[in-house]
Amino acid sequence: MADYKKYVCIICGHIYDEAEGDPDTGVKPGTRWEDVPSDWVCPECGAIKEDFEPA
Amino acid sequence: MHTVVIGSGIGGVTFAQELLKRDAQEKVSLLTYETHGYYSRPLLSHGFTRADIETKIVMRSFEALSEQGINIASGVEVMRLDAASATLVYREGDAEKTLAYDRLVLVTGSGALIPPPFVPQSDMFYVLNSLADLIRLRQLRAKIAAAGKTPRWAVVGGGLIGCELASDLSVAGDKVHLFHAMPRLMERQLVEEDSQALVVLLKESGISVTLDCAVNGFEVNSDSYAVVYDGGRSPDFDCVIVSCGFKPRIELAKQAGLAVGRGILVDDFLRTDKENIYALGDVAEFSDGKVYAYVTPIRNQAIWLAEFLAGNGSEAWMPPFFKPKAKVHGFEASYPYKF
Repeated sequence: MADYKKYVCIICGHIYDEAEGDPDTGVKPGTRWEDVPSDWVCPECGAIKEDFEPA
Repeated sequence: MHTVVIGSGIGGVTFAQELLKRDAQEKVSLLTYETHGYYSRPLLSHGFTRADIETKIVMRSFEALSEQGINIASGVEVMRLDAASATLVYREGDAEKTLAYDRLVLVTGSGALIPPPFVPQSDMFYVLNSLADLIRLRQLRAKIAAAGKTPRWAVVGGGLIGCELASDLSVAGDKVHLFHAMPRLMERQLVEEDSQALVVLLKESGISVTLDCAVNGFEVNSDSYAVVYDGGRSPDFDCVIVSCGFKPRIELAKQAGLAVGRGILVDDFLRTDKENIYALGDVAEFSDGKVYAYVTPIRNQAIWLAEFLAGNGSEAWMPPFFKPKAKVHGFEASYPYKF
């Protein structure tokens, strides 16, 4: 069982948890950060993936 | 061409970065009164529950932004703007310097709104609008804690910022009393049902909440503050924080003769009524009276304007779908926020 990582939005603090994904935008639970679409944005503030860092 | 940006919040910095991405030849200068670097304003609301906040909140130092090609002048104050000659004057230390621009973008954001009755008592309360404010409050909090006491806060104003602030201080372990003039909390953003859920949540976490409370002013006795309102007073606070809304920083624009309302008036292309001067972010007011004070539309405006000024866009700016969210610990609204 691989360990899932978390990434935090540096603008608003929202956490992307690989284990949970982001179902509201079609990102299934268990989706690795690399596999999250490049046009995905932070659901809280609209920041892009480049504005996230490992939590 | 020389594009000058005033303001180093999310709007100003995003715009400067995005313009350079599209036109690396453009000279981009950014003037800001800030000295702590480019930091996240949303994270100010969690400034008491995160021990590492003072470093974590800074997203990029001004040195790092300079390395990206933005000519940054920090710790400066823009004194006046002359639209006719397309120049501005700013103070840096003891010196006054003049800067000419081809295009000017005003992204000065907003300061805390202080209700007029409180203005004469400004030395009796704090606000939370900037990282400098947060650092002061954290220092005060640390001082009280070092004396072995639990800090007691009065938060005046139960809108979005007041509720976030009350929540964060309470979760950090402090005693908080939230005062609000209206019958329910966050009445501008929430429907009645969500206001009720919010007040229950705050009270359950130990926050005292007084609604329908017209605060008239404050009193101080040694280091103890009282909140005075119609019909009574509430004493024994270590500190009062006023969170009664925000006020767009329009002074520079107004003095320069630009059309202003609550904010700097812009059209759907983010143009002010003076040639080559634009405004975006929460200082900008659209023809429908709207001022956008959330990260998503502000970033969207910044990127749109970079496209437009780089010569790539021809359609007017349209607000994107966005979901405002109060960063109150544990609170999820059941209904969409009003905007």
